[in-house]
Amino acid sequence: MTGPDAVTATPAVVASGTPAAAGDEESPRGLGASVPPADAEAKARGVFPYAADLWAEGLLWAAVLRSPHASARIVSVDTTAAAAMPGVRAVVTHADVPGAATHGRRVADRPVFAHDVVRHHGEPIAAIAADHPDTARLAAAAIAVEYEVLEPVTDPETAFEAPPLHPDGNLIRHIPLRCGDPEAVGEVIVEGLYRVGRQDPAPVGAEAGLAVPRPDGGVELYLASTDPHADRDLAAACFALEPDRVKVVVTGVPGAMADREDPGFPLPLGLLALRTGCPVKLVATREESFLGHAHRHPALLRYRHHADAEGRLVKVEAQLLLDAGAYADASSEALAAAVAFAAGPYVVPNVFVEGWAVRTNNPPSGHVRGEGAMQVCAAYEGQMDKLAARLGLDPAEIRMRNVLSTGDLLPTGQAVTCPAPVAELLTAVRDAELPPLPDAEDETEWLLPGGPEGAGEPGAVRRGVGYGIGMVHMLGAEGHDEVSTATVKVADGEATVICAAVETGQGFATLARQIVQEVLGVEEVAVVAADTDQPPAGPSARGRHTWVSGGAVERAAKMVRTQLLQPLAAQFGMSVELLAIADGKITSYDGVLSTTVAEALEGKELWATAQCRPHPTEHLDEYGHGDAFVGLAFAAVRAVVDVDIELGTVRVVEMAVAQDVGRALNPRQVAARIEAGVTQGVGMALMEDLRAPRGVVKRPTLTGYPLPTALDAPVVRIVKLVEERDVVAPFGAKAVSAVPVVASPAAVASAVRAATGRPVGRLPIRPQAAVAKPAGA
Amino acid sequence: MSTYARQTGRTVTLPASLDEAVAALAAMPAAVPVAGGTDLMAAVNSGLLRPAGLVGLGRISEIRGWSYADGHALLGAGLTHARMGRPDFAALIPALAAAARAAGPPQIRNAGTLGGNIVTAAPTGDALPVLAALEATVVLAGPDGSREVPVSHLLTGMDPLRPGELLAFVRAPLLHAPQTFLKATARTGPGRATASVALVLDPARRGVRCAVGAVAPMPLRPLEAEAWVAGLIDWDGDRTLEAEACTAFGEYVAMACIPDPADHADPANPAAGELPPAVAHLRRTVAALARRALGRALS
Repeated sequence: MTGPDAVTATPAVVASGTPAAAGDEESPRGLGASVPPADAEAKARGVFPYAADLWAEGLLWAAVLRSPHASARIVSVDTTAAAAMPGVRAVVTHADVPGAATHGRRVADRPVFAHDVVRHHGEPIAAIAADHPDTARLAAAAIAVEYEVLEPVTDPETAFEAPPLHPDGNLIRHIPLRCGDPEAVGEVIVEGLYRVGRQDPAPVGAEAGLAVPRPDGGVELYLASTDPHADRDLAAACFALEPDRVKVVVTGVPGAMADREDPGFPLPLGLLALRTGCPVKLVATREESFLGHAHRHPALLRYRHHADAEGRLVKVEAQLLLDAGAYADASSEALAAAVAFAAGPYVVPNVFVEGWAVRTNNPPSGHVRGEGAMQVCAAYEGQMDKLAARLGLDPAEIRMRNVLSTGDLLPTGQAVTCPAPVAELLTAVRDAELPPLPDAEDETEWLLPGGPEGAGEPGAVRRGVGYGIGMVHMLGAEGHDEVSTATVKVADGEATVICAAVETGQGFATLARQIVQEVLGVEEVAVVAADTDQPPAGPSARGRHTWVSGGAVERAAKMVRTQLLQPLAAQFGMSVELLAIADGKITSYDGVLSTTVAEALEGKELWATAQCRPHPTEHLDEYGHGDAFVGLAFAAVRAVVDVDIELGTVRVVEMAVAQDVGRALNPRQVAARIEAGVTQGVGMALMEDLRAPRGVVKRPTLTGYPLPTALDAPVVRIVKLVEERDVVAPFGAKAVSAVPVVASPAAVASAVRAATGRPVGRLPIRPQAAVAKPAGA
Repeated sequence: MSTYARQTGRTVTLPASLDEAVAALAAMPAAVPVAGGTDLMAAVNSGLLRPAGLVGLGRISEIRGWSYADGHALLGAGLTHARMGRPDFAALIPALAAAARAAGPPQIRNAGTLGGNIVTAAPTGDALPVLAALEATVVLAGPDGSREVPVSHLLTGMDPLRPGELLAFVRAPLLHAPQTFLKATARTGPGRATASVALVLDPARRGVRCAVGAVAPMPLRPLEAEAWVAGLIDWDGDRTLEAEACTAFGEYVAMACIPDPADHADPANPAAGELPPAVAHLRRTVAALARRALGRALS
């Protein structure tokens, strides 16, 4: 029996407050400064412990048997041969799940192990614990499963009529949005059909975890979880344990832009640990990772835009179909965002949208940064380009004539109360200087589409400029209780932040340090690693932690500040407001009082815990109406691309970004998030599509699924950060990560349209769609 | 304690010469030779391949360089892509150097070898169309001595590698004339070819030789197109062609490598005669690559 003490799981956020020799020089601190992340050096040196680095004495290795079919009936599962293999310690199937047979972060519709039917390629069927990873894998392969292969439903359009793939039916959600006059007709009408492929989040580190049984019959799960409390609750339900007997400890997260973990893998891990009484480790292969975790919803979008002769939008009609894969997961939220933002950040008096999310046998879809909003952005911006071409207007000009601003209504009836500087963003990118054309004299200096050793020829290269304006909502929508709790402690002139908000690389730990530095004037701030013994902080998604967890940290820090200053204020007969803390010193307005934080503490420890809960939101009603969103963020992107119009190869030369950030709390981190988002958007625009013909992922590898390399990543030029504070958000700051992902693919598609004259209705853009029309065709 | 016996039955030998390597392979016929390991070890590490033994070729210095023999270069199979991409090699066989430079990210080029590229015989192997266009031969060392086989015979399976044989050398002609290798990929960074074209001029034989890679399981040679364009070139003059001739050559090559579907006369299905859009695009890509390759070779 190995207790948790034997685990050498180093916590993820080893955020000591001293990134460099602090104090000697003016190291940046507080809000608005580019404070470096505390873990940056460890990550750069390769010593930062990620989930795959976990180790416990006497651990066993797990392997998961996954379905090779997209749709099949399971006739029998025979584990005898596998269980009899030397070195195999446990085999678990659906029959070994003591608690809830199904789970799901939002809708409990997904079995822990498939038993009667498999609904997607890669669905877990059984799991093995053995004393060597290869033994575990060989044993998993030795499990005899007899399948009766069924015809998969892979075209979401056929899902409506297909026999139900799940007891819950094939229609996961339908939102009809009705706004305005259905009879309204514009002078100009353009129609378009748009398709968006299946983007994989492709985190740099595949899923990994360690489960350690506890002497009390509980289990500890060491995971790169992005929502530890939700993962704990669903694990506890499946293990038939009280939630307090399951503990999720968050380890180093190797990249996350979504619900990181395939939920079907911590559960087998925990079951195996409980069954064997030994620590069990699982490191997923890249193939498993591609098959298991949630992808961006593939979408089929039909649009009809009506405009008047001046290019002002009169009516938008749209049919949106999202492919949810086999299970509901985050499809309902994605559909709500897609429907609400179907017309984009434009003022449209009449909007009629039918949105559906349907179940298929394709790989699972779920929450991936900018879900719903990204797909429709590609479509509505395509429509704006079509309208501009029809009316002979400049693409930027037609957008400018329709932009949304504060006070306008969304088609859902919600008034935009937050800053919506869309016109300012568009102006900034439109007026930014264009990147220079390659030097005509020296062709060897050109980086042509196709790369330095590619086949590009300067004579066949055309340059295009295009625009994309995106919007996303921040925090969970439609009545989700978006609460977070944080604790701040001060002792010996040092502060500690305890908050279960996971540092996924998005910079929350750095932000928490900055907030405490700002409020308490303390230089040294440590941020404790997250686990489920702490109060819940919710998922790391949609900019939640900047808002609610940052808000909670600020409130807790302010409570500590009051506790610290109250005795001093009383002693000197002045109110707390007249005292200031800076650089570890407390001074009064008149200079009478001057002491240090450490002295004022007198050896005491001060603790405070606070919550932040934004104003409540409403569910969209049967007409798609309701104040569903807490806040909105906007970005405008201008893409400049070079296209080899004979080969159809595209190189993105530059992405100029103007973004509505509310307040840049850490300018360097904001820039990094924007660059990351734009690069992910470029991947979506040009290459990332997990192809699954007949529901089977053919090449689930990083060779088969190309990602942008350093040569593909464009120059990202941030031309403007609009810092118009959002009064309801803590610090007035808006989330920055998601909206560049939303706007960038649309901007690249728009630029390719400009370069080639082709309609470009499909993302990623295939080479055959980016070649100039052959003469005479 | 682990029941898993990691190395039992798996031996790794590291011969220092070709003869030792052949002997090691003869002693253990189930062993797999490994050079750069860029394809092989990925399969081993993912559990797809469980070789009983490995014969590492990395220490055999005689196959890591090249020598000259009657107008030919005898290239060691252990030459890495990085080595072949260097300017001194590019002066000898420019198209092979260009293919080596395009073959992947630096990590792969530093490890991956010419011989590995041939033995793996992936359709997208970048060196393969160049070797086909050069009409190179491979020297296979086996227990019964060595033999020489045209590279195309090896790749098509006409004359495959026999048990116990090692690919030792590649004999490639030194043509002293322009050569090109062009590759279309899906991204700007290193990637697998969607189509590639190697083209070499052979002034001594007044020939143009061209091979198209990645569109079929092995490189394809458009022999008629080669002969046609070689007849147009003024070999004794400045060796230039009209742009129209280059375009026609490109289309000739593309039609030969990606022919129309055979059943184009099916009246019940008029669309049968048309290529699917992706294939039509591939044909246009090959045409553009072949035109550019010829244009660059003649410029």
